[in-house]
Amino acid sequence: MGLGVYICTDCGIGESLNIEALQKIGGKKGACKTHPFLCSKEGVDLIKNDINNEGVNKIVIAACSQRVNTDMFDFDPLLYITERVNLREHVVWMQPPNDPKTQAMAEDYVNMGIVRANKSEPPVPKTTDVTRVVLIIGGGVTGLTAALEIEKAGYKSVVVEKSGALGGWSKKSFKTYPAKAPYDKLLVPAIDTKIKAVSSSQNITVHLESAITSIEGEPGMYDIEIDKKGAKETFKAGAVILATGWKPYDANNLVQYGYGRFKNVITNVEMEDLASKGKITRPSDGKTAKNVLFVQCAGQRDENHVPYCSSVCCNVSLKQAKYVREANPDAGAFIIYKDMRATGVYENFYKAMQNDEGIFLAKGEVKGVEEEADGSLIVIVDNQLLGKEMKIRVDVVVLATGMVSSMLPEGKAVNDLTKEYIGEMVKKKTQDGEIEELMPIPHIMNLKYRQGPEIPHLKYGFPDSHFICFPYETRRTGIYAAGAVRSPMDSHQSSVDAAGAALKAIQCIELTAQGKAVHPRAGDMSFPEFRLESCTQCRRCTVECPFGVLDEDEKGTPREHPYRCRRCGTCMGACPQRIISFSNYSVDMVSSIMKSVDVPSEGDEPFIIALICENDAYPALDMAGLNRVRLNPNYRFVSLRCLGGTNLVWITDALSKGVDGVLLMGCKYGDDYQCHFVKGSQVASERLSKVQETLGRLMLESERVHQIQLQINDWDTLPKIMEEFSEKLKGFGPNPYKGF
Amino acid sequence: MGDAVFTPDIGFVRGLKEGGADTMKQCYQCATCSTVCDLTPADNPFPRKEMIMAQWGLKEELSADPDIWLCHNCNDCSKYCPRGARPGDVLSTLRKAVIAENAFPRFMGTIVGNAKLLIVALLIPVALFLALLNATGHLNIPAGDVVFNKFFPIPLVDAIFVTTAMCVVFVFAISVSRFWGKLNVNPYKLMAHSMLIPSLIETLKEIVFHKKFQKCGANADRTWTHRLIVAGFIGLFIQTNWAVFNLYVLKWETPFLKDDPNMMMILGSQAAVMMYYAVYKIFGNTSALLLLIGSLMLFANRIKDKGVNSVSSSFDWVFAVMVFLVCITGLLSEFCRFANNAQVAYPMYFIHLVCVFYIIAYLPYSKLAHMVYRTTAIVYAKMAKRDVM
Repeated sequence: MGLGVYICTDCGIGESLNIEALQKIGGKKGACKTHPFLCSKEGVDLIKNDINNEGVNKIVIAACSQRVNTDMFDFDPLLYITERVNLREHVVWMQPPNDPKTQAMAEDYVNMGIVRANKSEPPVPKTTDVTRVVLIIGGGVTGLTAALEIEKAGYKSVVVEKSGALGGWSKKSFKTYPAKAPYDKLLVPAIDTKIKAVSSSQNITVHLESAITSIEGEPGMYDIEIDKKGAKETFKAGAVILATGWKPYDANNLVQYGYGRFKNVITNVEMEDLASKGKITRPSDGKTAKNVLFVQCAGQRDENHVPYCSSVCCNVSLKQAKYVREANPDAGAFIIYKDMRATGVYENFYKAMQNDEGIFLAKGEVKGVEEEADGSLIVIVDNQLLGKEMKIRVDVVVLATGMVSSMLPEGKAVNDLTKEYIGEMVKKKTQDGEIEELMPIPHIMNLKYRQGPEIPHLKYGFPDSHFICFPYETRRTGIYAAGAVRSPMDSHQSSVDAAGAALKAIQCIELTAQGKAVHPRAGDMSFPEFRLESCTQCRRCTVECPFGVLDEDEKGTPREHPYRCRRCGTCMGACPQRIISFSNYSVDMVSSIMKSVDVPSEGDEPFIIALICENDAYPALDMAGLNRVRLNPNYRFVSLRCLGGTNLVWITDALSKGVDGVLLMGCKYGDDYQCHFVKGSQVASERLSKVQETLGRLMLESERVHQIQLQINDWDTLPKIMEEFSEKLKGFGPNPYKGF
Repeated sequence: MGDAVFTPDIGFVRGLKEGGADTMKQCYQCATCSTVCDLTPADNPFPRKEMIMAQWGLKEELSADPDIWLCHNCNDCSKYCPRGARPGDVLSTLRKAVIAENAFPRFMGTIVGNAKLLIVALLIPVALFLALLNATGHLNIPAGDVVFNKFFPIPLVDAIFVTTAMCVVFVFAISVSRFWGKLNVNPYKLMAHSMLIPSLIETLKEIVFHKKFQKCGANADRTWTHRLIVAGFIGLFIQTNWAVFNLYVLKWETPFLKDDPNMMMILGSQAAVMMYYAVYKIFGNTSALLLLIGSLMLFANRIKDKGVNSVSSSFDWVFAVMVFLVCITGLLSEFCRFANNAQVAYPMYFIHLVCVFYIIAYLPYSKLAHMVYRTTAIVYAKMAKRDVM
């Protein structure tokens, strides 16, 4: 047995706890040593010496949080199990020193840590051959930049473009606004340079007039099939970048501004077209246009059309106003806005354009547009800065209509989409009667995934990009969304996005080759293992896996695509047969940890086990410790990779051991979810709703099990949350199984 | 404007930018200026709205706006402006535009208002004086003791300046009625005409005691500058009239002989005449000194600011320099007369008269016109219940 327990006595641990008593617990099952400064070189050398000379391969470090000093306590995960017992933040920084309850808590945690280490084995590396080629869907500025970045990093890529030419919208731009000082000159788009570089590259294959007909497989080893001008072609790719960009909102819906009725009312896309021809003319009679009025947010930030802000239109209109001014120094360009949103450094561009005496800016509302006999337009503007309604005569009105993700199939409106996957609700007859079922529409990717042919969207058709921390991630491991397809953005931002996604794609291929998780548990080498001989084909794991790791064969037996896995353990929590486990994380492990807790057989205070998410709840507790928040001492925390891994057997295990209640602390779920694994806390809550039956069988109140949503910065609410649950449990009296 | 269709007047906007409001387009309408201003009414406050009106080139609205005259240019707004749009300077430029617009004849407004035409403005009196001197046979440096009367006969001076002053009054009458007509439109169209006299009295009291000016917290130094200049000008105005009184009522002609029999008879003794002369001279020189100190402080304040809160327009600078020149040439003429240096004294006196002409004749078009326009606007604002005081 190679267990070694190391107790650090620094940071107040030595002064607050009876270290000798702790040492006895550690010593029972292996060597137990203390050190006054374990995260020093000497402290780490003490551990290394035991590894080298005493055969220690399971290292339990009872010191500080697992989130700190990871560089010091860094032992090869393929050889050693390193288990951190948090005596500092979770015990001595939160509890009164030298108190029996504090001591009991510390002893429990050391015990629990030893069990966790003993139940863990280092993973067996599962390396694989990969294709070091990235598939890029879309040949606009994002796709081209991604291809060039990938080339620079020494990899190959294949660009699949639907149209007959590279360049996308950027190619259609007359000029572009500056992203560098001094911000006052319009620039010629750099797209031609990129097109040339891509076209002449040996490492980039371009397929024009092509569409994806099938993507099958998993990171490192996708089989791609495309339709190129009617002929099928296949190739392999290791990762995918979705860079299909945007399309303009249909201005025909904007009758209130006269679009479609008056020829001289055009969209900003059409304005770009006019300007590219060298001269801004009135579409009605081809005469030179002098004064032009821009309507910002035309249909945008409007629940009936495009509910969001496209973020680029303010800059685009400022740019086009400059076209008007450059064409005629006596021309007026009016911009009527709801809010001027020139984000970040574009403030400088806005300032420069604002300084032009012929660019008239005002917050206001366009109340109506009328046409005069000669085709001129009278725009009625409620100018809110001047505090009056005014009529402005112009030659052309330009509508800033906004950007819609190309994820949207033809005919779909951003404000009327089915949840999660864009599709149609269809009625289906089953043995249980008629049900409504979502039929996702294949559109761009044609993925051969159980979940559907496209990636899920969160809102308005933009792919769910795994919230703010991980912009390029999608819910499909190995598939990265970049550019305007995932969020409205301009060509400068798209280029930055493309570089980010390119690096993620390469990282994905390389980590996959080494058998490591890509995100968010980057580097994790464990894989879920299935004891399929006990599988009952219930399909819960295949349904609940958020990342499409599991398909199923005709009988419903899970069929694995291991490299899609993010190691959250949701499948493990889902499985009623408990056949899914990791070498260092299993149902049995957590059950055993709970069994190792010394539940007091008497006392008035309810004793509670809390299952906590290691991504948000665990650091929230660390912060509570840092702030010396006093928490109820009758709780024991068991950290999980994700609450989605909660197996219901743990609840019954805990309750039958005499614990008075079980509290689950997970991330926020729903529309603005914060779960690192998208759905973990949500599926946990769905499972809990089914636990009632089990509790009834045990003659226990269902309220003894409770889930809360906790954000990382909610640490200050912890005392109240824990006290309230404890108080509620007092009302039910002690668990009748206590002492059994 | 009513139902009128707005067409942009880019020339007007450009003109304002070139005339000193070069920063006005930087305003993004946060209204910090209106918040920090101590003189603005709570309802529809300035200068936020004037900034957008100027950006949009709403000439008519701006000339009908009494608010730009309620501002005393303390530049608190410019100090706090987050965009460096300098509302203080913009309002100052707008006032200048109103002066030029209401000028009669209009071309005079252009000549005086444009610093590039300064030479033209100065050549007018130079040519006029030279022609008159030539016609009356005085175009030479007289011999003997320096007595300015010998060089530029006082009746001639009086003829010129009395005529000029009457023209100025006439011109102001036209300009003010034009101005009043523009002010008196909605939304402030007058309802209480009978309040004219009380409003005027109240306004004059405020001006004399600098009540409004004092409210500008950041502005203690500039209040004193203004007080000195006002006092200097009033003193010199009195002095001039006093000289007219001496000449035409007491028949006491320069060089003011102390043993003038006529004066001896009026005042009783030579000592009394000496006394009278001393008081008269001390009063005049004190007034000139006040104006000189005031104009020097004016320079000091402007230089001290280094253009951080305010960049003085050429319109302002020209006038400040002219005030300084009036004082310095006047005093130098006097000293040269004492020193009996004819070669310097007479030309200096000539320059002095040119400067005086500039100040008096161009009063309706120069920076100094604000004394009439501002008074009018404040009276109007009081009648329209728009004033805060």
